[in-house]
Amino acid sequence: MRFDLTVLLPHLDALLAGVLLTAEVCALGIVGAFALGTGLGLAATTHGWPGRLARFYVDVFRNVPFVVQVFFLYYGLPEVGVYIDAFWTGVMALTLVGGAYASDVVRSGILAIEPGVVEAARVSGLSRLSIFRRIVLPIALRTALQPLGSVFVNLVLSSSILSMITLDEVTGAARGVAAETYRPFEVYAFLLVAYAGLTYAVSLGVGALHRRLNRHLVAGGRA
Amino acid sequence: MRHTGFTVHDGLLLAQGLGVSLGLFAGTFALGLVLGSAAAVVRHFRVPALGAALHAGLELLRNSPVLVQLFLVFFGIPALIHQPLTPVVAAGVTLSANTAAFVYFIAVAGLDAVGRDQVEAARVYGFSRAQLVRHILAPQAAAFALGPLVGLAVNQLQVTSLVSVIGVMDLTKAGDILNLRTLRPFAVWTMVGALYFAAAKGLTLLGHHWERRLRAHAPPLGF
Amino acid sequence: MIAVEGVVKRFGTQTVLDGVSLTVAPGEVVTILGSSGSGKSTLIRCINGLERLDGGRITVDGLDVANPRQLAQARRLSATVFQLFNLYPHMTVLRNVTLAPEVVLKRPEPEVAAEARALLASVGLADKADAYPAQLSGGQRQRVGICRALAMNPRYLLLDEVTSALDPEMTAEVLAILGRLASQGTTMLFVTHEVEFARRISTRIVFLDQGRLIVDLPTADFFDPARGLAHPRINQFLSKMTPVGERP
Ligand SMILES: Nc1ncnc2c1ncn2[C@@H]1O[C@H](COP(=O)(O)OP(=O)(O)OP(=O)(O)O)[C@@H](O)[C@H]1O
Ligand SMILES: [Mg+2]
Repeated sequence: MRFDLTVLLPHLDALLAGVLLTAEVCALGIVGAFALGTGLGLAATTHGWPGRLARFYVDVFRNVPFVVQVFFLYYGLPEVGVYIDAFWTGVMALTLVGGAYASDVVRSGILAIEPGVVEAARVSGLSRLSIFRRIVLPIALRTALQPLGSVFVNLVLSSSILSMITLDEVTGAARGVAAETYRPFEVYAFLLVAYAGLTYAVSLGVGALHRRLNRHLVAGGRA
Repeated sequence: MRHTGFTVHDGLLLAQGLGVSLGLFAGTFALGLVLGSAAAVVRHFRVPALGAALHAGLELLRNSPVLVQLFLVFFGIPALIHQPLTPVVAAGVTLSANTAAFVYFIAVAGLDAVGRDQVEAARVYGFSRAQLVRHILAPQAAAFALGPLVGLAVNQLQVTSLVSVIGVMDLTKAGDILNLRTLRPFAVWTMVGALYFAAAKGLTLLGHHWERRLRAHAPPLGF
Repeated sequence: MIAVEGVVKRFGTQTVLDGVSLTVAPGEVVTILGSSGSGKSTLIRCINGLERLDGGRITVDGLDVANPRQLAQARRLSATVFQLFNLYPHMTVLRNVTLAPEVVLKRPEPEVAAEARALLASVGLADKADAYPAQLSGGQRQRVGICRALAMNPRYLLLDEVTSALDPEMTAEVLAILGRLASQGTTMLFVTHEVEFARRISTRIVFLDQGRLIVDLPTADFFDPARGLAHPRINQFLSKMTPVGERP
């Protein structure tokens, strides 16, 4: 059998629908992961029980395979009376695991801030909330932007696993096409390159954003 | 017929699954370590076409979902070569190659950290390439790469959980089977998650132990 | 008035401030001298509430800095300039200066911005308002640090070795501005190693030695061989600090 990508042409709409679903579930998951990660990251820098709790959470979600987390949420929760459909289970799973990884990044970003800068804000009379919102978070996120980009790229790659709970995102759609066409090699080779292209595009975008947001840290740059 | 209680046999099933997961991890990680380091050395010596091809291929593997890679190997390659692959072989090939991709990028960073001036110095003293790698590059790059490699190992252990989807009887598959029999997914996936967690923590401890021992013997890089 | 009464500060088992008492009345420029590690920075940090006291009391116009509510009030009365500038790296020079007046004092933005630009112009930084701190020289950064403090219209200015991280030329820039502030009657508590400069602008000089405030004298008396200089620790300190030719 020859390698022939044209066999995919009649199935482009199915694949495109999958791409859209992947984009939706990932976009929501990334937003959720960002919010959760920021909160957890901040909590993890504190000394009391919120810090311990946040660090424990991160430990658990980083050391249990994502498939198992997804199965637990999709098959396990209904047993205790919580029913969530595949799509929102996917969003939740991506949020929970992405939040754990993002929180580590945000936490290092916060710890890397020069203490003197925060002290300057404190003695000027800014409230704790103002300091967090106007000083700590913006500085930490600028540092964290690039590693956060990798976290989000990995989240997109992980989303393929959601095909295992019947969600027909792009990997799920591709399985259908592979079964229909009997051309699994073409289908999966194409899919693999497509994912790589997507992650490449995302990291390019993050790189550009990083340079833009951090212009001011480059000595001698334009004023 | 349905037995809802857990039995001793279930414990054995899980233990067996854990054994398969750990075995698969150990084998593919070792192989990936060798392949990835070899590719990095090829790149380091700027072997013309081979280096670039390897780099592109491994970049593709690093930036696409393991699940899709698994499908490509297990379903796609047999369709191309008209020769079936067993699940274990497909899993072994996929995970080794995937590990190699990540090892490659860690090793490249490690080799770059050693610095070309040291290499040139060694050349002046008449070291052959093989001696150079063995006595100068490898020990220093290894010391540099150790931390990232421990993190990678924990990750790749979790990635093995995907092979259940092509029918390998690993820990996740054992959970699947147990789940079908007992219909207690909440408990089953919690247990499976706990086993993975314990394995990952064990691996982390082991990794840090080795890291300390190696660091004690290898002199640190000059920074 | 800033009143420091019998302040004790420990780090672990080390007593860094050991019963320090000191007052700074409006209009005074008080300089704290002392060798490295004597506790000068710690004293400043106690006054602006960055360190918790282990004993004694500090009030700023009657507000006790150990009390969180009163500290918040006290922090509107004093402003600090730091040795390493501690500017907000992600904000423009102008924003560095306007942030606290806007957010803490809740003053209207246009008014604050106009005032900030005037301040920046007065230290020769009119054209740097939209630059970021990383794009400035050390001396320029410290001038921004001073503007940031002055923008709060503080009654008291706390300065901790604000020229130590600068080369001689930049030091001169910054000292010129501080000299002008002193002559305008700004109240300052001033930690420095620039003894000659301190001598010119201070009304009083105090000397910290291993956490104890051993001398508190009007400037002229401090340099009087029969008074301040009679103290062996001070004599030894000054002989190390000042070039021989300038020694009194
Ligand atoms: N956060 C801290 N934890 C522990 N010890 C500290 C801390 N801050 C200061 N110290 C110690 O307190 C002592 C006084 O320090 P301080 O910074 O107040 O000295 P200083 O007079 O400002 O010295 P310098 O002229 O070098 O700035 C020093 O021995 C220092 O090591
Ligand atoms: Mg000091």
